[in-house]
Amino acid sequence: MLSLVAGQVLNGAIVGSMYGIIALGITLTFGITGIVNFALGEFMMIGAYATFALAERGGLPYPVAVVPAALIAAVAGYVCNKAFFRFTRGNLVNGLLVSIGLISVFESAVLWYWSATPIEMHYVLPGALRLGDVSLPKMKLLVFAVIVVVIALTYVALAGTWLGRASFAYAQNAEAATLMGVHTERLVTAVMLYSTGLAGLGGALYASLYSLEPSLGGVYVLKGMEAAILGGIGSLMGSLWGGVILGVIEAVGSIFLPTAFRDAYGLAVLVAILLFRPAGLFGDES
Amino acid sequence: MRSDFVLTIFIYTFLSGILTVTFDLIFGFTGQLSMFHPAVFGLSAYVTHLLVLHVRLPFWLATLPAAAAAAALAVVVGSICFKFRLKTFYFAVVTLAFAEMLRLIIVNWNSVTNGTLGLVVSGKPTIWWPGTGIVAIRGPVAWYYLTLAALGATVFICARVLASWMGRAFGAIRLNEDLARTLGINVFRYKLVSFAIGNALASFAGGLYGYYTGYIDPGYLGINQSMEVLAMVLLGGQGTLTGPIVGAFVLTALPHVIDLRAEARAILYGAILIFTILVMPRGVVGTLRAWRVRRAA
Amino acid sequence: MACAAGRVSGARGGSLLEVRGVTKRFLGLVAVSDVSFTVARGEIVGIIGPNGSGKTTLLSVIAGMVPPSDGAVIWKGEAIQRLRPDVIAARGLVKTFQNPQVFAELSVFDNVLVASHLALKHARGRHRALTLVGIEGRAARGLAARVREVLGLCELTRAADQPAGNLSYGEEKMLGLAMALMCEPELLLLDEPASGLGHEEVDRLTAVLRRLHDAGTTLCIVDHKVGFLRGLAARVIALNYGRKVAEGRPDEVLNDPAVVEAYLGRAHA
Repeated sequence: MLSLVAGQVLNGAIVGSMYGIIALGITLTFGITGIVNFALGEFMMIGAYATFALAERGGLPYPVAVVPAALIAAVAGYVCNKAFFRFTRGNLVNGLLVSIGLISVFESAVLWYWSATPIEMHYVLPGALRLGDVSLPKMKLLVFAVIVVVIALTYVALAGTWLGRASFAYAQNAEAATLMGVHTERLVTAVMLYSTGLAGLGGALYASLYSLEPSLGGVYVLKGMEAAILGGIGSLMGSLWGGVILGVIEAVGSIFLPTAFRDAYGLAVLVAILLFRPAGLFGDES
Repeated sequence: MRSDFVLTIFIYTFLSGILTVTFDLIFGFTGQLSMFHPAVFGLSAYVTHLLVLHVRLPFWLATLPAAAAAAALAVVVGSICFKFRLKTFYFAVVTLAFAEMLRLIIVNWNSVTNGTLGLVVSGKPTIWWPGTGIVAIRGPVAWYYLTLAALGATVFICARVLASWMGRAFGAIRLNEDLARTLGINVFRYKLVSFAIGNALASFAGGLYGYYTGYIDPGYLGINQSMEVLAMVLLGGQGTLTGPIVGAFVLTALPHVIDLRAEARAILYGAILIFTILVMPRGVVGTLRAWRVRRAA
Repeated sequence: MACAAGRVSGARGGSLLEVRGVTKRFLGLVAVSDVSFTVARGEIVGIIGPNGSGKTTLLSVIAGMVPPSDGAVIWKGEAIQRLRPDVIAARGLVKTFQNPQVFAELSVFDNVLVASHLALKHARGRHRALTLVGIEGRAARGLAARVREVLGLCELTRAADQPAGNLSYGEEKMLGLAMALMCEPELLLLDEPASGLGHEEVDRLTAVLRRLHDAGTTLCIVDHKVGFLRGLAARVIALNYGRKVAEGRPDEVLNDPAVVEAYLGRAHA
């Protein structure tokens, strides 16, 4: 029993880290630009399918395919920013609505080209590690490690560098930041690029573990948002914790309660947290 | 054959119109972006049909408990959301979360709802018509009048509410909640009322739609429905009563005028949504009105 | 004068409003410290003090926008410090804003019409729901007339159909006042009503407030235009650094050494 729970906790944590990387993108975008990018999941989906195309069709080895795939997602994000989000800076509801529209566009485009049939990549890193009674696939552990490293690096980079401090300044007070010489438009573009690239990376990693469907974007963006809110919007490490906690709740919940409702447990906890601690677990209470 | 086709477009327009007008009551007029609408639409379809099937209620009588259920659910969800003063983004996410939970319940409660397979609706709604007695709604013409009447009633109710002091309170809440509070408006109560009325009225569309298409499935509660409603309202013009209907008409007729496969249609919806927000944020009706005002000046 | 009509409520001997030991702390900063005073029905009380003396915070606490850290606000015998702003407004205690808050998208007329929410509630109570089904009643029909009356009082008749966003600063302030008046206040809290207004506008404002007072509305005015307050208020309270430092007739208070020091001291700081 204990090993079952332990196994589920670990699995949940790993799945949760993927929620976390999307959450990071959401929290970065929202925290700095105030825009909620509902379409972030679609960039993850783009990254995933791009990885598939590059690795399976293009013949690139998986580790090599990951980087261009993430870049493709980032470029797509850049284009969307320049073409659409640039015009919704002042109006957050509109930005939200535009991102909802993008979901439809991306998902249907991929659906058209690839159809809804799930596609799978070949095993990238077969084999599993045994910890006592629990068996964990090596690839999952690798994915987890990569995500944690990326999020930690982001945290360090933002806390330390000039760009990072500028980001926080902008988040606090856009006008003051402009006056201080921070190139706000460039900053926002950078955040968009990075968050969509992150999502693309998440997708590339996802592709190594699971089969791909065009609808994965919609699922993950909701999870990512739940994780971001759980961890506290604006808190970078919070997005990782939020994701992991969400993943664990879902996994553990599935042991004791019907699996079919797996998604609902996270939702229920999210609603509860939002109501009693609106800033999320690690967010800023002010 | 031709006229049947046109009638069908109008019937779907009217049905969508009920959804879009009631959504606009909550979103365009009171300023709350609710992703809960499709949940109520789907739920009421199931409730209405199941009541007819198992309890043998006549159709029009079965719509009432469905509306009551929708209102009750809206009050619960709304109370939670508004009590905790959730702002735009959080409100949208939480309503989406609740809608998803409801969808999951319906998908998995196989014994009652038949899960993802959905329910087949084989009966016809019956109306008591003075003089003729019980009439079954059969054929495009009868459906046309029925849906038109339903839409008309919905619009009438919404118009009355919006023209009253309550409608003014909604508008104040949308424009500036804090100011509204200092003027004595109980913001929580009126957000809740708007949410409850919008959802309760939308529930009528669910029952009718199920009967018209003959098929009810959990897809009714999906996020795609939210997207469609949003696209229609934004295209037609939020904050107006005619806008949502115009939007419903355009987006209902479009796929028939331009023959597209499902994916292309979805891309088009998304593109229209984006285009409308960026270029014509007031929608067709809103922009026309503004243009007319400027012409007159 | 329609404003205070129809609201017959006997003050139960004693004051209409009593502020009792109100303190407000924000993250270590004490904005208001142990302030107490009363306002009797029919009075005009002024509150003066240099910038940062806590005047606006005090008003916000009284009107229910922020809860006090300590102390109580007693309105007609009942403690109201934990009540919501809309509940407090419904009970007759209404506040205006220093920076006018209006619905910019709506016309001036509509702004005041929205503010008639309470007036309708007072007139019809639960029965106002009947207006939804078309049972208008005398009171509901009278609303439009009342709006026009208030607009006339505040000299906004000409601008009635303009979007509120087009108004000048002075006109916006008058609109804020009009909206507050529409709420049928028994006591009107005014937060720096004269700030930003020119001489003529201040005179107009003074005339409007006098008329209001004559019709029965109690006024509590915060301002630092000393001349303006001196002309209106029967009693003045002076604040400095969140504390009450003087209270009495305008001339007494303005010559009080503590008050003089507060103003002069600030000027030199």
